[in-house]
Order: sequence, then C-alpha cells, then structure tokens
Amino acid sequence: MIYKVSYVVIGGEYPGSIRNETERPQVGSIVQIGRVKFEVMEVQEIIPPRDDFQFLHATVRPIKPANGH
Amino acid sequence: MELVNILKGIELFHGLSDEQLARLAAISHLETYPADALIFSQGSPGDKMYVIARGEIEVRFKDHQGVAHSAIYLGAGQLFGEMALLDQGERSASVIAVQDGTEVYAISSRDFLALCQADPALGFIMMRNMALDLSFKLRHRNLDPATGL
Repeated sequence: MIYKVSYVVIGGEYPGSIRNETERPQVGSIVQIGRVKFEVMEVQEIIPPRDDFQFLHATVRPIKPANGH
Repeated sequence: MELVNILKGIELFHGLSDEQLARLAAISHLETYPADALIFSQGSPGDKMYVIARGEIEVRFKDHQGVAHSAIYLGAGQLFGEMALLDQGERSASVIAVQDGTEVYAISSRDFLALCQADPALGFIMMRNMALDLSFKLRHRNLDPATGL
C-alpha cells in the first residue's frame, strides 16, 4: 500500500506538504517538512482508496521553533 | 531499481501496462539537484513536467507586491510543473530542491503529447491521473490555512 498524504500545519504559519509514504502516519509520530519537524495530531481519509493507493490528510504541529521561516 | 518499477509506484502512472510504462520511461530523463538548487523559476516558459523520485522540493511564488511565499513542499511520488504543460502558460511558481540529491524525472511537453497522440489509451489514463492529482492538491489547498484561503 502507498499512502499519499496531505500534511497541513496547524495555525497556517508553515506551508504543508504532499508526499507518498510507505507506512500510514500515526498520531504522535514525527515528520520533517522542509527543515522543520512536526508531530502528527490527527489522520483521516479524505477520499476512498484506489487499488494500491490510500489518500490521507494529516494535521501536524511544529515540535520545535522554526528556523528560516 | 529499473525505471519501470519506479514508475509503477507513482500514482501518475497508475493503470498503465508494462509496455506503456516502458514507453514513458524512454521519454523520462533523470535530473539530480543539490539542496537549494533552482529547478525552474516563476514566469519562465514551461516545457516539461516533473515527477519526484527521491527527496523533496519547495514551491515558492511571488505575490503582486513581489513578496515571496512558500506555498507547499512536495515529496516522493509527486508531480509538479504540469500546469504549464497543460495550459502552455508561464511557470506559476518557482521550484527549489530542498534535500541534497533530490532526483526528479523530467518529461518534455512535446514528447508527452506525442506519446498521448500515438497511444490514446495511455493519454486518457495519464490525463485522468493528472486531473486526480490536481484535485488532491486543491483539497490540500482548501484545508491548508497557510494558503490564506
């Protein structure tokens, strides 16, 4: 299964990301978007899966102060 | 890994046969960029679309006041540069490699459209997948407060 994930950052201070993941993101897991690390707060399916692809929306928040944004 | 197998893991190419993937692989050219390298700039003519095989890119645009904004980061498996390929307009944003060794497959507009004309079934699948990708990006944009919508 390939997880196509739309990451959106709470607060709108940082841009989000879209990318394929080989594992489904979990609440509490850490992702790096650009040069900043984020904690996953919520994961939901936004459209039905299509064959080997699952389409997810994850809400994330920064876990340390951002540099360069 | 053989390029056809890499392409199989990318949504844009989902539904294509091995033979069709091989034809696409033949017109796909690997480009590798160091961190912070400019892949293309806003306002330049667009004659290629790109698929990210490895690494991450940042999409940046300047607003009407000339202020630069970071719009989104795209990672493995994602498509960019397709708007200019479809509408033949200028690049709507600049794209910069974020990670060192970012690898993208570039497909020229001319080669892609010629392939779609030669194999309409391939063209239909690719155009449908591109529409699905644009739809997913719109959903992301609607959910992302950073877009200011």
